[in-house]
Amino acid sequence: MSDLERIALDTAMRRGAGYCDARLVDQKREDLTVKDGQVASLEQTESRGLGVRVLVDGAWGYAATDEMTDDGAAACAARAVAIGRASASVLAKAVRLAPEPPQTIVWASPCAIDPFEVPLTRKLDLLFAVDAALRGVRGVTIAESNLTFVRKRQRFLSSEGSDIDQTITRSGGGYAATAVSGNEVQRRSFPQAEGYHQTRGWEFIESVPWVEQAPRIGEEAAALLRADQCPAGKFDVILEGSQLALQIHESVGHPTELDRVLGMEANYAGTSFLTLDKKGTLRFGSNHVNLVADATLPNGLATFAFDDEGVAAQRWHIVRQGMFEGYLTSRELAHTVGDDRSRGCVRSDGWHHIPMIRMVNLSLMPGAGSLEDLLGDTEHGIYMETNRSWSIDQLRYNFQFKTELAWEIKRGKRVRMLKNPTYQGITPVFWNSCDHVCGEAEWRPWSIVNCGKGQPGQVADMTHGAAPTRFRGVMVGAGYDE
Amino acid sequence: MNSADAQAILERAVAPLDGREFEAVLGGGVSELTRFANNEITQNVSERRYVLSVRVARGLRTGRATGNDLSAEGIARLRAQADAAAALSPEISNLLPVTARQEYRAVSGVDSDTSSLGPEGRAREVSRAVARCRAAGVDAAGIYETGFGTIGDYGMLGPLAIANSKGLYAYHQGTDASFRISALDGTASGWAGAESHRASDIDGEALADRAIQKCVGSRSPAVWKPGSYTVVLEPAAVADLLQDMAWISFGALAVQEGRSFLTGRLGSRVLGENITIRDDAYHPLHQGCPFDAEGVPTRPVTIVEAGIAKGPVYDRQTAAKDGLESTGHGLQTPNPIGPLTSNLVLEGGKGSVDDLVKGVERGLLVTRVWYTNVVDPMTVTLTGMTRDGLFAIQDGKLAGAVRNFRFNQSIVRMLTEVEAMSAVQRIEGVVCPGLRVRSFHMSSATEF
Repeated sequence: MSDLERIALDTAMRRGAGYCDARLVDQKREDLTVKDGQVASLEQTESRGLGVRVLVDGAWGYAATDEMTDDGAAACAARAVAIGRASASVLAKAVRLAPEPPQTIVWASPCAIDPFEVPLTRKLDLLFAVDAALRGVRGVTIAESNLTFVRKRQRFLSSEGSDIDQTITRSGGGYAATAVSGNEVQRRSFPQAEGYHQTRGWEFIESVPWVEQAPRIGEEAAALLRADQCPAGKFDVILEGSQLALQIHESVGHPTELDRVLGMEANYAGTSFLTLDKKGTLRFGSNHVNLVADATLPNGLATFAFDDEGVAAQRWHIVRQGMFEGYLTSRELAHTVGDDRSRGCVRSDGWHHIPMIRMVNLSLMPGAGSLEDLLGDTEHGIYMETNRSWSIDQLRYNFQFKTELAWEIKRGKRVRMLKNPTYQGITPVFWNSCDHVCGEAEWRPWSIVNCGKGQPGQVADMTHGAAPTRFRGVMVGAGYDE
Repeated sequence: MNSADAQAILERAVAPLDGREFEAVLGGGVSELTRFANNEITQNVSERRYVLSVRVARGLRTGRATGNDLSAEGIARLRAQADAAAALSPEISNLLPVTARQEYRAVSGVDSDTSSLGPEGRAREVSRAVARCRAAGVDAAGIYETGFGTIGDYGMLGPLAIANSKGLYAYHQGTDASFRISALDGTASGWAGAESHRASDIDGEALADRAIQKCVGSRSPAVWKPGSYTVVLEPAAVADLLQDMAWISFGALAVQEGRSFLTGRLGSRVLGENITIRDDAYHPLHQGCPFDAEGVPTRPVTIVEAGIAKGPVYDRQTAAKDGLESTGHGLQTPNPIGPLTSNLVLEGGKGSVDDLVKGVERGLLVTRVWYTNVVDPMTVTLTGMTRDGLFAIQDGKLAGAVRNFRFNQSIVRMLTEVEAMSAVQRIEGVVCPGLRVRSFHMSSATEF
């Protein structure tokens, strides 16, 4: 890499910044989609640029540029300082950063087989094999499959002396079969809705039974057209892991972002019911509920050595045996919860956007037993698989999810497939109704690759590990109960 | 970037080579945003970014490469990468040749005062709005954003200029300004927003006053039972619901694949007689881009007229399938999504939202909605939350705040039950009125 980031850093400090960090980011991406027997996208994307963040008189300024010249870097830094100076004109209290020792490191996520070196034909062969298997099922009307590979290399320099060079490689994909008949559209996805990804190379793709599972997925999509409507009322609900992952994301992850709690997202994503007085006092869930934030999780999508403020990756409890313990924090806000160090949760989605608090990997720790044991222990309930839609209020209380498919469970057995299952609840009531979490063998690191937050909007990815889990007395059927 | 600079880059990107077809799209610009919360500026950013996407077609094979290195070497690399991908790609049986040269309508969407506003200008407007909130004893949070070019939501880039190896060239530059403000007091909140291609249309103080009024009125909300109520939806709420409806229903691919409520119903009554929905880049409040990502001129399209389904928006591929011409709503070729609306218009009536309230005996005024998502695509049943000001209406007057609801509502059905409409405004990228709807289903309550 060149020394544009050094030029930017020096320029900002010379122009009066009290603090500066500069990130030079090289990002590379490959997207392949096959839909109904045809290539529907085949694109390689590269992006390189510089982002400069400054504190001027205690106020933030940020500027980003793709002019990769000495003059471009200096002008970008000067613009960041001018913006910081304008911010200082409407400032109640100067920003104070929690201390962090400077670091010098070169780090890369594990990648045994470089996905960008795997021939395009091999990737397309895999997608066409999945496509053929899906379309071979009678009743499947739309088949769509995709692979995505991302590599981000970032050098972070700070005026405090950090020099951190990180490279993260992400591989993954997914597919869906859609069955349409009359006034009905049903869908099944594999391995989860919106794709399954890890910070690994092509070896991750090779570890997933893509083609083998396609006939089952196609058959389930077609079968849903003939399935009974999911009944409405209060039921014991068992959530499959990938649906539970999104439940964790929306009802635990977002409300524990400290910038939300403190009102900094109030105009857009909202605030949080987990106000500062709840820390250490709120029974968030039952004793079965242990939720751990972990930026060190092997192959997680939010796994790194240092965050975008130069803070080392950490692992800590958000909820321990049901009690709410802590937040996702930054250097700017750590002091507001009495911490003397950031938890290292600050990331940006590229050089062009300012880093902010983003969820790290956040998982529900496994309990015991298998899914079949749990279903066997359920007198009358509904087992729901794979997310189809999601919504939650701006304080993160009232949520509603729809899954692709459900099974009615009676006396421990799956007795019939159900279509259009929805469930709705209030976050702490729901988590307190949890009475069983399945064990380690059922636990998977599920992916989120489309998490939107901030203004301008940024997209982040993270992993939520989860195993099938049961919740008692949940409202089922919203949207289909009129 | 001016047209001459854009054209120079694009000409290099589509230079002839051994009978291959080239198509290149340049997107980007400058986007600046001042964000405030707790009555102070908390974030202030500026982004300058241009991205070039080059597509090569070798007969029925095609590949694409995208990057932001616009140097001669960078462009040559993109051409080579796209060409290599095209060589390895299987044939796409219905791939069309690149678009022939076109004529475009001129759209005047540039305001130089907006592109030169700068962080100080934004800070001044924010400062005035924050002062009003501070004086009212509430917290202000919001944004003031100005843009020049095509950097959109979540960093998505629309086409600034497009060219191809058949000599097609199109360029469009626009400015945008938007101001959004929430006034907050505990869990009580009020919201107001405005957007225009001219920053001079933005009045931060007036927006702050509106948000404050809603916030103060939202203290101590009453608890109503879930159920179906007559509602007045302010334009921001209508815009959100319409965008979801358009996303899943108004593109020709959704109709052809049987995923849209319009499938099989063209020429039939699908919505109320008082509902006309169009896509119109030339509407004075939109001033949108006059071409799409295939270089086809964007035409005004009437999707529903007086409740009758007239037709979706098309790209070239879906139009060819139906034996029609593209309406100029295509995304980049190829893509799995199909054409999309870009400048939605729901025609309105006269008068204000207050006039709509006067006609309600007992009901609810919804300021805006939040986190909408699709429950059932064929009935366009959406779920979501009311937000930042839900008020009781009794005998034509506002009668205090009500705790927020989750709704589950078919928007198709809603648009058969519209009793009255206000005049239109542009909000959240949609030109639409406020609506009075006879029955709207609030399905569950929340805690505030």
